[in-house]
Amino acid sequence: MDRSIAVWVGAAVALVVLIALPLGWLGWLSVSGEHGTTLAHYRDAFTDPALQRALWNTVVLAFWVGLVSVAIGAPLAWLTARTDVPGRGLIRGLVLASFVTPPFLGAFAWVMLAGPNAGILNTFWRSVTGADAPLLNIFTMPGLVFVVSIYTFPYVYIMVANTLALIASDLEEAAAILGAGRLAVARTVTLPMVLPALASGFILAVLQALALFGSPAILALPAGFHTVTTQIWSLFQFPPKVEQAAAFSVPLLLATALLLDIQKRLLGRRGYAAVGGKGGQRRIIALGRWRWPALAACLVVMSGAIFLPYGVLAKGAFSRAWAQPLSRDNLTLANFAFTFFEYGSTRAAIVNTLELAVLTACIGAAMVALLSYVTNRRLVVGHQLVAFLVLAPVVVPGVVLAVGLFIAYTRPPFVLYGTLWILFLAYLTKEMPVGYAQADATFRAIPADLEDAGRVLGAGRLRILKEITAPLAKSGIIAAWCFIFIGVIRELSASILLFTPSTKVMSVVIFDLKEEGQFGAISVLGLVMLGLTFATVALVQAALGRDVLGARR
Amino acid sequence: MPGVILKGLSKRYGDVGAVNDLSLEMKPGELLALLGPSGCGKTTTLRLVAGFLTPEAGEIWVGDRCLSSPTAVVPPERRRMAMIFQSYALWPHMTVAQNVAYGLRFKPGIARSDRDARVREMLRVVQLGGYEHRYPGELSGGQQQRVAVARALVVEPEILLLDEPLSNLDANLREEMRFEIRRLHETFGITTLYVTHDQSEAMVISDRIAVLQAGRVAQVGTADDLYHRPRTRFVAEFIGRTNVVDGVATSFDAVAHGALRLHVAPGGLQPGTRVALSIRPHQVQLSAPVEGAEGANTFRGTVRRAAFLGDTIDYEIAIAGSDLVLRAAAAPTPRFEVGAAVVLRVAPGACVPLGDGD
Repeated sequence: MDRSIAVWVGAAVALVVLIALPLGWLGWLSVSGEHGTTLAHYRDAFTDPALQRALWNTVVLAFWVGLVSVAIGAPLAWLTARTDVPGRGLIRGLVLASFVTPPFLGAFAWVMLAGPNAGILNTFWRSVTGADAPLLNIFTMPGLVFVVSIYTFPYVYIMVANTLALIASDLEEAAAILGAGRLAVARTVTLPMVLPALASGFILAVLQALALFGSPAILALPAGFHTVTTQIWSLFQFPPKVEQAAAFSVPLLLATALLLDIQKRLLGRRGYAAVGGKGGQRRIIALGRWRWPALAACLVVMSGAIFLPYGVLAKGAFSRAWAQPLSRDNLTLANFAFTFFEYGSTRAAIVNTLELAVLTACIGAAMVALLSYVTNRRLVVGHQLVAFLVLAPVVVPGVVLAVGLFIAYTRPPFVLYGTLWILFLAYLTKEMPVGYAQADATFRAIPADLEDAGRVLGAGRLRILKEITAPLAKSGIIAAWCFIFIGVIRELSASILLFTPSTKVMSVVIFDLKEEGQFGAISVLGLVMLGLTFATVALVQAALGRDVLGARR
Repeated sequence: MPGVILKGLSKRYGDVGAVNDLSLEMKPGELLALLGPSGCGKTTTLRLVAGFLTPEAGEIWVGDRCLSSPTAVVPPERRRMAMIFQSYALWPHMTVAQNVAYGLRFKPGIARSDRDARVREMLRVVQLGGYEHRYPGELSGGQQQRVAVARALVVEPEILLLDEPLSNLDANLREEMRFEIRRLHETFGITTLYVTHDQSEAMVISDRIAVLQAGRVAQVGTADDLYHRPRTRFVAEFIGRTNVVDGVATSFDAVAHGALRLHVAPGGLQPGTRVALSIRPHQVQLSAPVEGAEGANTFRGTVRRAAFLGDTIDYEIAIAGSDLVLRAAAAPTPRFEVGAAVVLRVAPGACVPLGDGD
C-alpha cells in the first residue's frame, strides 16, 4: 500500500502541474469577468465574424486534409502491404520521412516552390509556356490542404497498412472460391475489414489539421485568412486578449476529445483481427504490367512530400539567391555563416532546443518507463487510472496547452513564464502520451513470467529489475526517448505562444526568419533540424530492429 | 458429380519444387485424402486445384473441363468449388447467416427467400440452428468450424476442398468432427479433396489416401492397402508404426539380414538384390521359450523394454545372434518382463518387401 501511495502522490503532483493547473486556469479564465462568472468571452469569440470565419476555415481545412490523406495514404498502404510493387522498402522509408518531417518546414519549402511570384515551379512554368499567370499558388486553401496533407497522410497509411497486415489472405480467398470476382472480394470483404482503420486514420488526420499552427501561419496568413490556431495566436499579439483566446480554445479541446473518443470506439468494435485458428498468411498480389506505373504514382506523391521540398531547402541553403538557377556563381556557404555567426538568436536557440530536447527526453523517458512498468505489472491500486491520465494530454492541441500554461504560470505561485521551464512543461505534457505508448508496448512484450522465473530462483525484485527487466526493456525505452526528442525539436505550436526573446527555440527562430524573408537561413536551419531528426530516427530503428511505422525488417 | 484428374502437375517456389510431376485421379463422389509431412506439397496441390496457383507444367481436369494448365487457369470464382480453410477464414464483420449465405449471392437463379431458407436448413444440418445472428468472434472453435463447413456446402459445389480443417481443434472435438465430416460426405456425396498431415484422420475420413512425398504421390490406396501393402519405406513408416529390416534377397521368397533368414510371401524378389522388409509390430507374435521352437521366421530374443499401454504392451526385443531390434505390440497376457527370453514368430505374409522409393 505505501508503494501505491508514493506513486499516487508523484503522479498526482505531475498531473496537477502538467494538466490540471493549465486547463483549469484555461477553463476558469474563459468564464471569469470583472463581476464573477460570465459567458461574455464566448459570446465575443463566437459572434465576431472574423472568428467565425476562422472556425469555418478550420473545419474546411481539417475535412479536406482528412479526405486527401485517405486518398493518398490508403492506396499507398495497400500497394506496400499487399502487392509486389517494386521498391516497397523505399516507399515505406519515404512515408516515414514524410511522417517525421516538421510540417512547417514543408510549408516553407512549398512557398519557395509554388509561391505565385518567385516560386521555382512557377518560374519554370512561365519560362516554358511564356504565360504570365502562375501555374500554382500555394497561398490558397487548396494549397494549404495539399501541404498539410502530404505530411499527414502517414497517419492513415500506418493505420491501414497495419490492419492489412492483420487480415489473412484466407479471408479473401474464401470469398473468391465461393464465386466472388476481384471487385466483389474487395467490396464485400477487404474494404469492410479495413473500414474502421480507414475511418480512424481519417480522424487522426483531421486532428492533426485541427491542431496545426505552422502551416496555416505560413500559408493562410499571407493569403488573408485565419484558422482557429492562428486566430488564437493573433489574440495573443498586442494587445493580448487572453480571455477570448481561452474561450476560443475550449471548443478545439472538446472537438479533439470527441473525435478521439469516436476513433477509439471505431477500433474497439468487434474483433476485426482474424478470427479462429492459425494459418493466416498474407499473400502478395502480382500487379503484372501495373507494377511500374504503381511505383511511378508512389514516387509522384513522394516528390511532393520529400524530393521537391528537400531539394529546394538544400538549394536554398547553398545558393546566394534561392530563386535563381543553380550555377557556380550562385553557390555559397554564406547562408551558413549568416545563420550561425551573424544572425543574433540562432546559436542561443539551437542550444535552447537541444537542452530542452535532452532534458525533456530524459525526464520524460524515465517517467513513462516507471509509469508503464507500474501499470503493466499492476503494482498500484487504480493502475488503469494512471494509464488514462498519462494518455490524457493527447486531447490537448499544442496551442491550447500553451494558452493554459501561459495563464497558469504567469501568475503566482509559479511564475515560470520567461524561463525555459515553461517550455519544458509544455513539451513534457505534449510528448508524454507518445512516450508512454512506446514504453507500454515495450513492457507488454515482456511477459511477467520472465521476471517470476528469476524470483523463483531466488533473486529479489530490484535485482530482477536490474538484471532481467532493464536489459529487455532498454531498446524500447531508448525508442521512447527518441520519440520525445524528435517531438521536442520540431515543436512550434506551443512554443510560439510561450517563448520570450531570451528563450527562443529553433522552430521559433525559423518562424522569425520568415518575417524577415531570410529563406537562405531558414533552409540552413531546416536542414539542421532534418539532420537531427533523421539521426534520431536511425537510432530508434537500430534500437528497435524495426522501422518506426511498425513493421519488423 | 464429376471426378478430378491431375496430370503431371509441377509448381516451384524459387528453387524449391513444391509439387513435382504429380498425377492423381479422383473418382466422382470420392473423398480422397492428401496425406504427408509438412513441406510435401499437399497444400500447394490443393491450392493448384482451387485455382489460386498456376502450374508450371501439367493440367487439372474436372469432368470434361480443363481448369488449369500453364497457359490458362480458370479463376477460383468460376470453378464451382468450395473450400474449407485451416483458419476457417470466417469473415468477422458478417454474421453467421451472412457468412453462410455469401456464396449463394453469386449463384444465379436463387431468390432471396430461397436463399434464407437454404441457409437455415444448412445451419440446422451442421447443428447451428439459432446461431444465425451471432458473429464468428462469439462462437467457439468447434462452432466456427461448423460455420465454415456450412458455408462451403450450402453452395452445392462440384468439388469440395479441405485444408487441414481440424488442426485447430482440441483432441476431443477433432475426433467428433472427423465423424461429422464423414457423415456429411455420405449425405451429400461431393467429390472431396482433403489435406491433412494426420494419418489417423486420413484413415477415418477418406475413401482413399494419396501419400505425398517431396511433391510426388508415393502411393494411393485405401487405408487398408497402405497399411498392409505399403510399397515404399516412406509409406510404411508414415502410415502406422513399423519395423523396417534391411537385407539382401537370397531367393524369390527369402531375405537375409546378417545370419537371420526371413521368409516372405512368395513374390518377385530378385536374388542378390538389396531389399527392405516392413513388419508391423502387432504382427510379431511372442511366446515363452520352449524346447524345439524352431521353424521358418522363428527367432529367439530378449526383452529390452516393455511399456504397458492398456490394451497392448509395447515391447522392444533384441534378436539373439543379430544386431536387430524389433518392436512388438502384444496382448497384455502373457506378460514378459524386461530381460526375459522370448520366442518371436512372424508370418511370411506379414513381411512386406518395400521398393526403394526413397
